[in-house]
Amino acid sequence: MIWIETLINGLLLGGLYALFGLGLSLIFGVMKIANIAHGEMAIGGAFLAIATANFIGLPLVLTVPIILLMAWGFGFALQMAVINRVLGSDPMPPLLMTFGLSIVVQNLLVEMFGADNRSLDIGALGTASIQIGNTSLGVFPLLMFAIALALFGALHWSLHHTRWGRNLRATSDDPEIVGMMGIDRRRVFAMVMGLSAALAALSGMMLAMRGSITPFSGGERLLIAFEVIVIGGLGSIWGSLIGGLVLGIVHVIGLRLDPASGPLYGHLLLLVILLAKPEGLAGKARSR
Amino acid sequence: MLEVTGLKKAFGKLTVVDDVSTTVAGGEAMGIMGPNGAGKSTFFDLLAGATRADAGTVRLAGQDISTLPTEARVEQGLARAFQIPKPFASLSVREHLELAAVAGAGLGSNEARLEAETVMDRTGLADLANETGNGLRLLDRKRLELAKALATRPRVILLDEISGGLTEHEVHELIALVLDLKTPDLAILWIEHIAHALKEACDKIMMLHLGAKIIEDTPDAVTSDSRVRELYLGAANHA
Repeated sequence: MIWIETLINGLLLGGLYALFGLGLSLIFGVMKIANIAHGEMAIGGAFLAIATANFIGLPLVLTVPIILLMAWGFGFALQMAVINRVLGSDPMPPLLMTFGLSIVVQNLLVEMFGADNRSLDIGALGTASIQIGNTSLGVFPLLMFAIALALFGALHWSLHHTRWGRNLRATSDDPEIVGMMGIDRRRVFAMVMGLSAALAALSGMMLAMRGSITPFSGGERLLIAFEVIVIGGLGSIWGSLIGGLVLGIVHVIGLRLDPASGPLYGHLLLLVILLAKPEGLAGKARSR
Repeated sequence: MLEVTGLKKAFGKLTVVDDVSTTVAGGEAMGIMGPNGAGKSTFFDLLAGATRADAGTVRLAGQDISTLPTEARVEQGLARAFQIPKPFASLSVREHLELAAVAGAGLGSNEARLEAETVMDRTGLADLANETGNGLRLLDRKRLELAKALATRPRVILLDEISGGLTEHEVHELIALVLDLKTPDLAILWIEHIAHALKEACDKIMMLHLGAKIIEDTPDAVTSDSRVRELYLGAANHA
């Protein structure tokens, strides 16, 4: 029975991991760049939420949407003002750019909030649980999982049934050619960066609700996001979901078997995947 | 419809497009010929805004579009079909055309759906509406390339060696398609190596050599011109 509970807890944690991966995967899928600042975007969003909720005293139901909007605006502006300028055939400038951004954001956070552990208090919801048979499941992890699944579903639907999604898929297939169809690819990139930043902030806030974070938590989150999309398969949104769930399960089982192991078993899984199926669990082998 | 004056482009010391001026009226088709390296594709790049010109102006229906970025020129009614078709791998034929109709022609979703149907009928793609870009054979990819350009509702269309790689029979199908495009509110510019295709479809032909315009005249006059013969057949044939 303990193993079923472990497995389910792993799945639920995996939903959060999948959200971390989704934002990174979107950026990679459309712009073919790695956003090194993804973890800091998540943690930055969480700290802003902590500031708004704990210091200003706004209720969480208001704080979360406000932070999501701010994150979207930040991502959009960042892309328009900075990243679009360094995008080109060379992947190095955007990599360095986002690496620099991650350092700046991290130090800003230390400067503003200090290096202490902080979290977002969700009150009784944090400890509420429901009993199914002999298994006890937390209400909040279930809620996070449901939100993650709903977001994946909504994103999949809009990619295939909206004008925005069609533009995004076309830009992902060939950013040079969309211009010839009357689409400004820089705007598409900015929309994607906005969405990715909002997803990052959401997963950061969930992390701070679930446990605690410090200004240095970003790097570790980025690592998890990378592992999620490599395990699942680069550039595919369902790959991120599968990668997140698998990584969540492996982490929880690893910690159960060996409480001192930390993320070790996740890293080992990544190595195994890179050796056995480098295109990822849901990825297709590519010829180019 | 299209008015080009003194268009110039140099890459370093190499002048690729040298002071080219021309006009193409609505309903008119102009062929563009020239040996490799004559600057034909760069000329199109300058018109489409893929490359910024060093000097000269491009006017579309009287409006100066020389400084607009590519996507804004498309909205103004300039479309381009490429030599090597570049369909979007994951979009269906229908989605390609709806995308072009919405983004390029500014149509609403319902109008765009109708426009896609019309263009598919016109270009013979109706049976392949749900096929993705990856699943098309070469002639259909070329058709899609043309259809994509048409769905943006252009007033000027640039055809860049669209018959390359096709069989003789397929080239004829393509010529019929281009002839069918000739309407009073569309100007056609067509770069092609296959002289007979241009002769059949075009009202006039412009000849480029080392970036400069050598001659612009009716197809018959161009193909019998001594300078053109020399360029294509070489001096040896003069004896």
